[in-house]
Amino acid sequence: MAVSASDIRSALSLPSSSTPVLSAQPAPRKSQGQATKKPEGISRELYALIGPSAPSLVAHLAKPRLKQKPNLSSGGKVKWEWRTFRHGARTDSLQLGHWAKATDDPNADKDWTTEETDYLFSVVREYDTRWYVVHDRYEYLNGPARSLEELKDRYYSVCRKLIRNRPWAGDEASKAQLLNSYQFDKDRERMRKDYIASLEQRTPEEIAEEEALFIELKRLEQNERKFKKERDDLLRTLLGIDSGLPDIVAEEDGPSALSAEGFKKKKKNANEIDIPPTPSNIISLGPPPPKRAQSAKSIAYDAQHCIIRVEPPPSAVTKVTHVPVHLRSFKLPAPKAAILPKVTQALTELGINHTRMVMPTRENCARLESLIEASTALIDTKKIVDRVEQDIRVLRVRLGRQSEGPEEDTKEGTPMEVEGGADGEGEVKPEVDGRAQSIVSTRSGRGRKQAQSRRSISVSSIDTSASARVGKRQKRV
Amino acid sequence: MADRVRVRGVTIHRPIIYGNTATVLTPAERETSHYPDHTHRWTVAVRSATSAPDSDVVGGADDLAYFVKRVTFKLHDTYPNPTRNIDKPPFEVSETGWGEFEIQIRITFVAESGEKAITLYHHLKLHPWSVTFPLPNATSVPAEPEIPSPENAAKLGPVHSWQYDEIVFADPFQNFLALLTAHPPTPLPKTSLSKKPIPFHMSNPASLEASLKGGVPEFTSAMEKEEADRLEEAKGKIIKEQERWRSILIEKEKELERLQKLLAPKE
Repeated sequence: MAVSASDIRSALSLPSSSTPVLSAQPAPRKSQGQATKKPEGISRELYALIGPSAPSLVAHLAKPRLKQKPNLSSGGKVKWEWRTFRHGARTDSLQLGHWAKATDDPNADKDWTTEETDYLFSVVREYDTRWYVVHDRYEYLNGPARSLEELKDRYYSVCRKLIRNRPWAGDEASKAQLLNSYQFDKDRERMRKDYIASLEQRTPEEIAEEEALFIELKRLEQNERKFKKERDDLLRTLLGIDSGLPDIVAEEDGPSALSAEGFKKKKKNANEIDIPPTPSNIISLGPPPPKRAQSAKSIAYDAQHCIIRVEPPPSAVTKVTHVPVHLRSFKLPAPKAAILPKVTQALTELGINHTRMVMPTRENCARLESLIEASTALIDTKKIVDRVEQDIRVLRVRLGRQSEGPEEDTKEGTPMEVEGGADGEGEVKPEVDGRAQSIVSTRSGRGRKQAQSRRSISVSSIDTSASARVGKRQKRV
Repeated sequence: MADRVRVRGVTIHRPIIYGNTATVLTPAERETSHYPDHTHRWTVAVRSATSAPDSDVVGGADDLAYFVKRVTFKLHDTYPNPTRNIDKPPFEVSETGWGEFEIQIRITFVAESGEKAITLYHHLKLHPWSVTFPLPNATSVPAEPEIPSPENAAKLGPVHSWQYDEIVFADPFQNFLALLTAHPPTPLPKTSLSKKPIPFHMSNPASLEASLKGGVPEFTSAMEKEEADRLEEAKGKIIKEQERWRSILIEKEKELERLQKLLAPKE
């Protein structure tokens, strides 16, 4: 059962919105809007809801109708008139006469004569439908003064009639489209121009007043919204799910964790009511927000009671995710999974276990986090170094300069040399078993010759057989 | 109703320790026990971190009951009623046994907190901490430590395994915050007043020696400082290393650029 707005109006005996009782000023415009006909293809109820701002698409998508039957019986009287005409095949001045339909003449308009219409068309053709020029140059002898709108209206209406009545080669749709493009509403156009002119003629005082009114309107709207929101919040608080407000159910699986938490509580204990922390609640009921600048006394107080104050992010006041109670060590920082083994290895060599702390206090957790960050950066750097080295090797091979000993002076065996990019590239390492030892002395890819000369430095140094890899690379290149 | 407002931007924590103490049963005790194969008596507990002066237990200076409603210890299934609910302090369970196992500890908070229970795990430690644990510079993985004979273990004294941690409440309710602030925790002493040893922790192998002094260990703020120093030192090393590698990288990139220039005219 669908009810239109006008039905409700009549049921409540409210005055119809189309009756211009409200005010005299906007009436002409309003009635104009009301007068527009409901476009075809839209149901009455829908039109009542969306009003004249109906999407134009609907009209286009409307079902194509069958051609209407010619209305032969009830068409009323067709007016015929006796006209004289000259036969085109004759050169003498014989006047012949015949009956012709009076309305058949495309030029039929009580206001416009055929001659003036012909003149109009010639001017329009001459100035290429540039209407302002046409209007400027339009001088029909003994004719009435024509406004621009009148000229346009005449031109377009004649065009429409011609399109409608002339044989059409294309299909109906394109014909309708062409017809549409020749639509012209003289009154509407005139009103539009009047309106623009009146806008232009406003005095500065009027403009200021209008703006002030506009701002006032916005403010009122905002207040109303706020009031409604507060009312909803209150209802929700007092009645919970019974208030019938849509948000409550939606919140259950929504991202807003505050309400999810509150909802659970409601399930547990129906009497216990959790107040959603709207800004108004915070202001009226909550304690004053913590200040940045703390006195020495309050710092001591906080230290004594193990209180940490952080400025809550202002945007998160309404949609804050509550962090449940936890042990500090639950939130120990963890390195990224991809480099986890390497970080663990590096930190183990430094005597740090990043998964378990002796004293996981806030400060120490922060220290561990920055330590892990530094290790991550170090490992990243090493990866880049490895990649650059690999590129250098490839270039050397391409230059045919393998005989020249690569310079590897910079790579001294130091603690914490972690395997770099070579691992990540997943290349074949024939001497993988030699790797079981501490990474302390492990080198990633280095030149064959260099390895031989350097091997004396650290006994456990492992040559990752760069030569084999270079060969592989070369094929790839 | 004002009590049920969360105080935003406030995090409040309470330091706790959890773990166990184990002693070897004397032959006489083993005689009288129902379970002749049991070798140790142990106590697993959740306590406040600070030790009470002149106390022979680790921690427990403050009563946690003002915010802890119940502690549930889930013992190995072979124990009768393995789930032990402790509703009032001391939150601890004493038993005898012969093996080490994982104990699930579930801490339930008072209703005012509006928080769910948290679960943590403790590995029941009966046998002495291994002296063969790898020290920072050692490279080899130590062999599985041998379980010493009861006589030797008894000589070594009770075994302590405790973990310090902090229970963190974020955005507490107004009344819960008031409840917590009404019970400020006793701060950790800078160093042990009664010269107690520090508790051993696996993450700080160097602490083994100090913890072997004998006696009941005590948590101190010096331990926190010590760990902070270790972390800072490690970070310093990492940063130094990072700088070294950066200079290597710059050199390598110069080299790469040179080679690319050499290669460029040929192609």
